[in-house]
Amino acid sequence: MLEIHDLRKTYGDKTALDGVSFAVRPGEMFGFVGANGAGKTTTMRIVMGVLQADSGSVTWDGTPLGFPERRTFGYMPEERGLYQKMKVQEQIVYFGRLHGLSATAAARAAGDLVERLGLTERAGDAVEALSLGNQQRVQLAVALVHAPTALVLDEPFSGLDPLAVDALAEVLEERSNAGVPVIFSSHQLELVERMCDSVGIISAGRMVASGPVDELRSREGRRTLRVVVRGAVSDWAAGLPVTVEGDRQVLITSEGDEQAILRAAVQAGQVEHFGWEQPTLTEIFREAVA
Amino acid sequence: MSDLWLVAQREINVRIRTRGFLISLAVSAVLVAGLAFLPKLFSGPDTYSVGVVGTAPQSAELEVTPYPDEAAARQAVLDEKVDAALVGPGKVIANGELNQKLGLVLDNLHRSEQLKAAGVTLQPLQVESVGADARYQGVRAGIASLLVMTLFFLLIYSTMYVAMGVVEEKGSRIVELLLTSVRPWQLLGGKIVGLGLLGLINLVVVIVAGLGTSYAAGLAGDLPPGMAGIAVGTVVWFLLGYAFFAAMAAAFGSLVSRQEELNSVLTPMTMTLMVTYLVAFLAAAQPTGVPARILSLVPPFSSMVMPVRSAATEVPLWEIGLAGVLMVAAAAGVLVVGARIYERAVLRTGARVKLGEVVGRP
Repeated sequence: MLEIHDLRKTYGDKTALDGVSFAVRPGEMFGFVGANGAGKTTTMRIVMGVLQADSGSVTWDGTPLGFPERRTFGYMPEERGLYQKMKVQEQIVYFGRLHGLSATAAARAAGDLVERLGLTERAGDAVEALSLGNQQRVQLAVALVHAPTALVLDEPFSGLDPLAVDALAEVLEERSNAGVPVIFSSHQLELVERMCDSVGIISAGRMVASGPVDELRSREGRRTLRVVVRGAVSDWAAGLPVTVEGDRQVLITSEGDEQAILRAAVQAGQVEHFGWEQPTLTEIFREAVA
Repeated sequence: MSDLWLVAQREINVRIRTRGFLISLAVSAVLVAGLAFLPKLFSGPDTYSVGVVGTAPQSAELEVTPYPDEAAARQAVLDEKVDAALVGPGKVIANGELNQKLGLVLDNLHRSEQLKAAGVTLQPLQVESVGADARYQGVRAGIASLLVMTLFFLLIYSTMYVAMGVVEEKGSRIVELLLTSVRPWQLLGGKIVGLGLLGLINLVVVIVAGLGTSYAAGLAGDLPPGMAGIAVGTVVWFLLGYAFFAAMAAAFGSLVSRQEELNSVLTPMTMTLMVTYLVAFLAAAQPTGVPARILSLVPPFSSMVMPVRSAATEVPLWEIGLAGVLMVAAAAGVLVVGARIYERAVLRTGARVKLGEVVGRP
């Protein structure tokens, strides 16, 4: 289990992290969301040891995370970095070897990933000749080549086309199912909601919410009833404790008696939809950082 | 250590396949071979062909062709089959003016024959050389100035590659990824070792080209004794100088994130290297002077002045030993400090890092 305890980091008089704590269990996919500059990248860089925290600690299975353990992690930095003039396959093999794989094991793993990520035809090309999307696939392959024991990925989905997003999501799910804890940051909240077991929301250097997605939903007090009535007059819901949005759709806070509302709706016209709605991650996020 | 070697291997693999490296290797080899061949072009031929009527004289410098009579020899001279013809005691036929050196050879032979006939036994001159062995002074000076240029270009070449490599990794942020799997000293050490090996290959190619040409052209006899020692010494001094300047290049290079900023940030290193080159150049001209003797002991100047001085003249062993110890200590010191600066600066991307922020307090 990867645990982050009370990380603090300041740059001059600017506070970047103000007590960030969360944990990622084996096999858990953790979505790290927050506005630009909220502290996601700083946190991940501290986890990977490329930045020193002022205070706080990172532990791996209960012991402080050091270089030998980090070496088994897979990392995708925010600023992508590859040797531009090195060939795709060679580059992946090189990073595999730096992470301790033998020459043959690295070649095999690189070959698998190249095929898996649809880079077979570009394996012998220099990285600089690739499109940005393909370079990102290489970056991902570099993070995965040594079968990492944990994955820390900073915005792995940004700049990818839908097919590449699917390919990456599949690879991450596979690693997660194999028991590897995965942290990734993203601004694509729908994707995070679909993929992640847990979510952490960071705002101005503080974790404002973190935990399993369902838990965050139930913690959210405001529930929403969505009713769609065809052929209703626009003021059919007058007198009920509701807010009408648009012509026929009604969003109602949880105080209302849903049975009374249903009766009113049936009288008003043809009911096309009636049901309680879960708040989306986007709504939770807006609420949390507001 | 194996990770350091992995990094070094990558540096070698990437660089050795570039056209630039291969071209510079070929050009330097051809250039040095050409310079080694130069004396051959300026010195006259080793032997002269001489037509002889009658008894042939014994001389290593003469290639003798016998002719039956004076008329045949005269015709051979006119046809330029021989440089001159010896047609009787004290009579030479030449085509136009007689070649000066050939004239001296023939004149000498003629005189010693006359003296021999008169019953005089000649004792060869006994030459005793005092002070430095002056016989090879010209050749030694030539070798020394060739060494100055070779060492300078190889040092600046190799160290610039180190600096450019450091900035490439820092600027592309790949260093952030690399440093999660290797230690900073392994990354830096691998780069210095790999590029140093390439410089070493280039130096060995140059030495082999130079010496090989000398032997092939039959000039080996003109080379001073102890050439092997001079060659080995040059390689060792190159490696020491390279370690010193490469550590400097890496430390200064790690302060910036863009290649465009490299030149200005490297100025202290390039200036030191330039000064070293200049003093070595002067030492090649005056290898026995006091400035050359002193500077050949002081690091980092010794890395170029000492090999140049050893090539140009005989240097006492204790001076070479002292210079070696001092240079090893200096290179080790610069490597330690350079590695520390590199480690602290290389992850601080963006604006140029000030030197004061990364030296001193941890």
